[in-house]
Order: sequence, then structure tokens, then C-alpha cells
Amino acid sequence: MGFASASNPGLDKSSGIFPSLILVQGNEQRALLLDHTPFTVGRKVDKDLVIADPRVSRDHALITTEQGAFFVQDQGSKHGTFVNGQKVERQKLQRNDRLEFGVRDGAYVIFHPVHGVSNTAAREFLSQISGLQISTDTTDLEKLTMFLDAARKLNTTGVLDEILVTVAETTLKLTHAERAFVFLKAEDGSLRLAAGRNSKGEELIDDTTISRSILNEALTSASEFLVTDTSQSLDLAGRRSIVAYDLRTVISIPLRKPQVQAARRDGQFPQASAPAGSDILGALYVDSRFASRDISSVSNDILRAIATEAAQLVENARLVQAEDEARRYQQELAIASSMQQGLMAVHIPEVPFARMAGRNLQCKEIGGDFFDAVSTEDHFAVFLADVCGKGVSAALLASTLQGMVYSHLVARMPLAEIVAAVNRFFTSKHLGEKYATMIIARISPQGELEYVNCGHVPPLVVSSQGVTRPDVGNLPVGLLADASYESARLQLQPGDRLILVTDGVTEAENARGDFYDNPRLEEVAARSSSLDEIFTSVADFCSGTPLNDDCTVVELVYTG
Amino acid sequence: MNLKLESKTAGGVTVVRCIGRIIFGEEAAALRASLKNILSTSKKILLDLSDVSYIDSGGLGTLVGVYSSARAAGADIKLTGLSQRVRDVLQITKLVTVFEVYDSEQKALAAFR
Repeated sequence: MGFASASNPGLDKSSGIFPSLILVQGNEQRALLLDHTPFTVGRKVDKDLVIADPRVSRDHALITTEQGAFFVQDQGSKHGTFVNGQKVERQKLQRNDRLEFGVRDGAYVIFHPVHGVSNTAAREFLSQISGLQISTDTTDLEKLTMFLDAARKLNTTGVLDEILVTVAETTLKLTHAERAFVFLKAEDGSLRLAAGRNSKGEELIDDTTISRSILNEALTSASEFLVTDTSQSLDLAGRRSIVAYDLRTVISIPLRKPQVQAARRDGQFPQASAPAGSDILGALYVDSRFASRDISSVSNDILRAIATEAAQLVENARLVQAEDEARRYQQELAIASSMQQGLMAVHIPEVPFARMAGRNLQCKEIGGDFFDAVSTEDHFAVFLADVCGKGVSAALLASTLQGMVYSHLVARMPLAEIVAAVNRFFTSKHLGEKYATMIIARISPQGELEYVNCGHVPPLVVSSQGVTRPDVGNLPVGLLADASYESARLQLQPGDRLILVTDGVTEAENARGDFYDNPRLEEVAARSSSLDEIFTSVADFCSGTPLNDDCTVVELVYTG
Repeated sequence: MNLKLESKTAGGVTVVRCIGRIIFGEEAAALRASLKNILSTSKKILLDLSDVSYIDSGGLGTLVGVYSSARAAGADIKLTGLSQRVRDVLQITKLVTVFEVYDSEQKALAAFR
């Protein structure tokens, strides 16, 4: 008999026509299909459900159906049949009813539980265990072990909130307390209420009546738990409780981060291996009014076990949650990255008087280099930008920048006005120290080149006379709100090439720490006829040392 | 953490000597925090970058940010000790037109008077 899992055929079939019975025995459960009636239950081996326990009669009970409803019928058994703790002769069955045959603390059956995957079944199981009556100390521990086993299995698919509620409920059952609160340590170190239940099963969301001083005392001590009463409380909750004859016994159980440690000897408190408080995950706060129930004599073994296992649960649940979040973040990042790839895919316009090529080498999955080209009636424009930084924030800024410049070029705005508008946008948005260096170059069919350089590596003009570096420049965009910008012009001859690069090229390093630098760039630009040659030259120079910044090269040839 | 900051006072000016790299991350943050502190008591600051081997785009952004904060607080920041590399970066980005740069500490201190 194995633990129910998603691959258990019984559970799969339960989503069909027949109701299912979940048999819970020890720390295992099994699903049975109520696919025929009468369904027999007893100790005899030919029964549909055989329970091998001497207290179960050989022909103990039947489950029958009548006009679509199901009934359990006791067959005159020696020890009786129980539905939800009540002894019955014949009873109509409701969903989630708990059936016991002859024994009150052994195997039991849940009738027609809520459909769902194993996670739900495990949760059912868990809540059923916590609903068991606890009669003796040894049985306490057995039940606790079952709970812990089930809860650990739940960990692989469970969600933190559900687990916390289960911890609260189970702690209530095991301690017979009236109220249980689960606190988790928040990012700022304070304890936040994460789950609260009372013995009636009601949710508790108000933690104003708990004694924070008692809670803190438990946390700052090195002990596994603290049993006290509110007359010892240093705060208002305690004083109020005394006045209102509402004295409560309080058990506070710190939940400490599980550590690999040697088995503790009985009666010994664990060694505090880290400064008190640094390993706290949260705390359990359990209380009962003196008047109603005395919980001060709850077995230390149980409290100790709760302390250890609840902490393990919380830690595991948080790890699972963190993994989920990390996975989701990676997915978002992948989406953003592919979007950026889309934006970066430059559609190079065809014009009769110029030819353009561009290539970008990204060294991270998402970055801040980009280039684009716009062709209008009377001009062909190309622009290259390098947003400071890497990662998502740089990419975000880059995309915004690209959109602004592209649309301004389509609207045929003067270059200096375009960059001034971009600068105004970014400096007014107070993005911190985020800025971009940028070059926009626009060429006419007659070869008139106008360019504006905002803090960027100066462009190269390769002509029959050699390589020149037009050096009119401005501040980067996004850095200083009151910056002013000016463009410059020059005349190109047919065959002249304009080359734009980002500083990832000039600052590419080799193993010795030398930079690729401008002289090499000018030299390879003069003799090469393609972008690839420039990239190859950089790669040869670095010979194995990885790039630490994106490299982009754009070439515009005026053909005339 | 690749940046060390040492400050001293000379002729009423707080001289901050930067040693290492001014780059994105801890280093830029350290510079920012340190200058913010100094600005609360001093209106004349000289950044000595003689031992700064490298400034990246993030470091540059912080330098400008720090400069803007200073101006907003009515203070003045001047630079000295620029290596060729750092000078080139400031040249390309035209930040040489924004910052006042001096060849030596003496010249810079004189300019404050």
C-alpha cells in the first residue's frame, strides 16, 4: 500500500462517475472506488474493504445506495460503526464524512472527498489526522509522526499559506489549546502574523491580544519553547487579561532555521551556535484561557517535536516558494530578452545612394547597446546608442531611447533638437544616474552628412585620403538637465564610409590588460571592406579573454 | 571592493583622494555616500583621481551625479590628477567642459580662493 500520488489510478478514476473512498491506515492512504453496491466492509478477506483489526467485526458494515444517495449500514458489529465520531446504525453519507469501523484510533475512511490532484488528497489527509482524538501520550507521538510524514510529502507541492494553516491547526489539536498563531519573520526582522486558527476552526486575523513580550522572550532565549502565562507578560495584553479574568497559558515556540546538528540528548537544550535571533524563521504562539483548558502540561516531547518539524516545514515551504519565484523571474527575463531582440532587429532600408550594415555582439542576455536606421523622403539616417549599465534597466532605457529617436527621425526633426528632447525626457524623469551616449548621422543623396555626437566614441570617416575622426561632440543624454547640443556637417564623396562603434570595441581587453583602442581600430577600418573584419580583429586581439561589454559596429557607405 | 577614499583638509578645501576603480556597484555607491557626507560640512571639494586606474560608465554617472548634488547644495567640486585614460573619457563625453580640471593639487587649491 503506497502513499497516494497523482499516478494512483484510484484517484484518477475518482473524477468520474463513482465516488471514492480514501482509506487512511497508519501513515499511508489508499483510494478505493465505490463502483458497486452493496460495498462490504469487515475483517473477512472476501470483503470489498478488508480491515485486519481484531476490533473490526467479520461482517462489520455495508455501504449501499438508494435513489442516488449513499448510506452506511452497521451489520450488528461488536464495536459499532461511526460517522464523524458519532455511532450510527444507518446514516446517509455526505461528502468528506469520516467513517470508522469498530475502532476510534485506527484506520478510517473518508467518503467521496473533494476531487483533485494528490496535493488536495494530502491536505485532506493532513486535516483528518489533525482531527483525530488523542488519548494517550504514546498515541500523541504516533499521530505527530504521521502528521510530520504527510506534511513533508506535502512540501514538494505545497504552498506556504496552506502549510502554515495546517501547522496552526495541528498544533491546536496536539496541544488542546484554544488559539494558535503562526508568525513569520519579515524582511525587516519583525514578526508578522501569517496564520491564525482557534479550536473551533475559525480563522484568526487579529493578533492584538497576544503578548509580544512573551513572544520576544521566547525568541531571544536559546530554548526550544516557553510555557508561561499572561500574568508574566510585560505588555498591555497581559495586564488586560488579568483585569478581565482572562488569564491565559501561553506556549511560545520559536521556529529556528534547521541546521545539521548532532542528535540532541533528551532533556538538553540545543547549543546556540549562532547569535540568538539570526536563525529565527518565525514563531508559534499558542494559548488557552485558564478557565477553559490547562495546556501547561502538554508533553515536552510534543512541543520539542513541533518546534523542530514546524520550522523544517516553514523553511522547506519558503525554499519552494523562492524557487517558484526565481523560475517565474527567469521566464519574465526570457520574454523581455526576446522582446528586446525583436526591437533590435534592424530592418535596413534600401536607398539608391547609400548602403548600411550593422552588427551587435552582446555579451549578456540583455543589454544597452543598440542601433537602428530610418529612411525618409530626403535622407537616410542611422543612429547608435550605448545606455550605461547592463541588464534589465539598461535595456528598458535603450528601448525607450530607440523609440524616441526613431520617431523624431521619421518626423524629420533637426538632429540637435532630437537629442535635446531625449535629454529633457530622461533628466526630468529622475532615473538616478542613468544616461546614454549616442550618435545620430543623417546623409542626403548628395552626400551631405550631418551628425550629432552625444558623449560617444567619435565616428570614423574612411576615404581615399585615409581615416579621420570628426570630433564635434556634446554631453551624453540624460546626465545634465541644462546641457545644450550642436550638430556638425561634412561632405562625403562616393565610396566614403562612415563607421560608428561603441566603446565595447575600443575598450576590449586582452589578457595583458591592454585596450584595443583607437589606433588599431583606425588601422583595421582603413584596410577592411566588411564589418566582420573589424570583429575578427577585435577577437584576435582579445584571443580568449571574454568581452566585458557589448560591441556594436555600424557602417554607412555613401555610394552616390 | 576596489576603491579606497582618503580625505584631508588643505586651505579650507576638503581633498578626497580616490584610489582604485570608480565603477558600477559598491565602488560608485561608496563614492556617492562619502561625498554626500562631506557635502554636509564642506562647500569646497577637490577630487584627486591620480590613483584611479579606471572609470566605467557607471562611475562616470556617479561622478556627474555627485557634481550635480554639490552644485545643488551650493558647493563646488574640482578635479585633479587625471590619468590619460580618464582624461580621454572626460574628453569624449565632453565632461571636461563641465568639470574644472587642474594639473596639480596646488593649482586646484589656488583656484578655490
